[in-house]
Amino acid sequence: MEKLELLINGKRLDGRAMDELRKISITASPIRNATGSAYIEWGNNKILAAVYGPREALPRHTADPDRAVVKCRYTMAPFSSLEEHGRPGMNRRAIEISKVTKEVFENVILLDLFPGTSIDIFVEVLQSDGGTRAAGITCASVALAASGIPMRDMPYAVSAGKVGETVILDLNKIEDNYSDADMPMAINPRNKEVTLLQMDGELTKDHFKQAVEMILKSGEAITKLQKEALRLPYEKAQERYNR
Amino acid sequence: MNITTMTRQYITERLNNKVREDGRGMLSYRGITIKPGFIPNAEGSAEVNIGHTKIMAGIKIAVGTPMPDKPEEGSMMTAAELLPLAYHKYDAGPPSAEAVELSRVIDRGIRAANVIDMAKLFIEEEKVWSVFVDIYVLNYDGNLFDAGTIGAMAALLTARMPKYEDGKVIREGNLGRLEIINTCASSTFAKIGKTIVLDADANEEDFSDARLTITTDEKYIRAMQKGLGGSFYTSEVEGLIDTSFEKSKELIKRIKEAASGD
Amino acid sequence: MKKLVTPGEVLSDKPLRIDNSLVEEGKTISTIMGMYDDQTSSLIPIEGLWYPRPGEKVIGVIEEARLNTCNVALNAPYKGIIILKFSEVNMVNNDIIEATVKELDKTGTIVLSRPKVLYGGKIMAVKPSKVPRILGKENTMITQVSQSTKASISVGMNGLVWVKGGDVDLATKAINQIVEEAHVSGLTDRIAAMLKSKQQ
Repeated sequence: MEKLELLINGKRLDGRAMDELRKISITASPIRNATGSAYIEWGNNKILAAVYGPREALPRHTADPDRAVVKCRYTMAPFSSLEEHGRPGMNRRAIEISKVTKEVFENVILLDLFPGTSIDIFVEVLQSDGGTRAAGITCASVALAASGIPMRDMPYAVSAGKVGETVILDLNKIEDNYSDADMPMAINPRNKEVTLLQMDGELTKDHFKQAVEMILKSGEAITKLQKEALRLPYEKAQERYNR
Repeated sequence: MNITTMTRQYITERLNNKVREDGRGMLSYRGITIKPGFIPNAEGSAEVNIGHTKIMAGIKIAVGTPMPDKPEEGSMMTAAELLPLAYHKYDAGPPSAEAVELSRVIDRGIRAANVIDMAKLFIEEEKVWSVFVDIYVLNYDGNLFDAGTIGAMAALLTARMPKYEDGKVIREGNLGRLEIINTCASSTFAKIGKTIVLDADANEEDFSDARLTITTDEKYIRAMQKGLGGSFYTSEVEGLIDTSFEKSKELIKRIKEAASGD
Repeated sequence: MKKLVTPGEVLSDKPLRIDNSLVEEGKTISTIMGMYDDQTSSLIPIEGLWYPRPGEKVIGVIEEARLNTCNVALNAPYKGIIILKFSEVNMVNNDIIEATVKELDKTGTIVLSRPKVLYGGKIMAVKPSKVPRILGKENTMITQVSQSTKASISVGMNGLVWVKGGDVDLATKAINQIVEEAHVSGLTDRIAAMLKSKQQ
């Protein structure tokens, strides 16, 4: 692949600082039929997440008599990218992302409370611009909170990467394509536990430490946005009647 | 929700008294919103809500090979996905017969109405533009047929036309629009017992005996599809054709208004 | 002070016994989205699931009536079952029933007792976390709705509400409004005013 200059005069191509997130907005409960749902716009990413359950685990052999099982399906709409028409449904990449996303939520949902059932999480990428797995996890986290399924924390995810010797936060599509490293992470904000960690490219330990620092710092802003999205409908209702 | 919330007896009694659960008239639509341009990455897109039904239509245009019987014309392919996030009864996996029927009925109306000028999609020998129409169901509350056709039309009317230069497809920058030469809309009726309603919601569809979709442009009937195990009398169909023309006219106006605002 | 909390939020630096919370490293953590009152140490769910408790009333739909048992859809994580030898009621598929939770058995089935068929009418599905508001203190809210609309109403703790007769549409409207404004103060007065204005 031809090399592309990603940093010009100390700025990124979209004008962001190295540790700056793209613009994020989250809406809770856009899908009426779901137990819980959320919609996120993260930069140019547009992603819907919905949760159904706990419900009877089907087929039956997938049920665990001692705890709920979490199932996750991450898919990308065929019109989601600027390039060719994609194929709908699951490819190998989607299967892997679905699996690691599922594991993030297995960590926080109180599974013991609903033995024999399944909790189904659907993440649908309507428009993609890099970092969809992180945005999808952040979104699904809000969908779960809105569903009332008990969790011990509300995870968020974001990625960091590297261009030359510079560590950058929240890579967009073009940065992802031409950067020297990409490392998405999901974090339980209360205890700073890492529940998703993937990386490819080249990083020194020092780069890693810088990346983690950026991820944790940006997490405070992301968590705040998640909470605001959940509170908004209730605060609005209260406001309407205070007048 | 995973249960049927109404008994057949309850709903037919109410319909016999000309009462629908949401207070609508028998031949009235729920509120409709059309938002084109929702997905800038797609060549065209639109989000459509009819009541609580929510769909997304996306258009991608790519270089393909022509159909053997029409070597100098472009092609169109329509697919519908009943996403499992939209309804507890939808499951993951290959498209169900329900999804295939939905996509084919939407496709047929648009094709028969000659919405796209296919001859304009010829590039060079063995190379034409293929238009992919994808209907994504995001929340199901009945009447996906009309929502799908409205979405496909609004997305097509606002679609960018990529360029083909030196063997490369250019999708960004100064592009024209996909050429659209006709607009159509469909009206879908449900028959429950002896009563016929327009734009059935999920509860009404649950108890529907028969379904009829009529797609028209301003002049002709362009496609029809009767569904489910029940039946219509021909006299009923004749009446519904009149209603469809009337409703389509209004819908086409709404679609064009929404598209011109984009 | 009351405040809106989300899952993972620390309610107290001390270990407390509060519904919908857990204790981790000596701290009390909310597991749901809810309204927390630190004076009374109570956490009322805004979003929450129904967990069956013996003695609770539920509304359900018969899914599969067999010779000895009936499977009941409850719009809940678990299915209900009625063992017929304990009752004389004759039930068929799609019947709407009212019943009492006997227990959640080890196979993850809610065993129901004292079934009663509710003929006609319709079911509304609401979030189970809103049921206490629909009922009101000592059933005052639901009694008010039922009396003003002359509708028969039965509320299941599982979030299914059966409505029949009278002004069904007004009753539906009132219940929807209660669900929507469940956590806004002054609800009882607003519902009373709405019912009164629409009653003619």
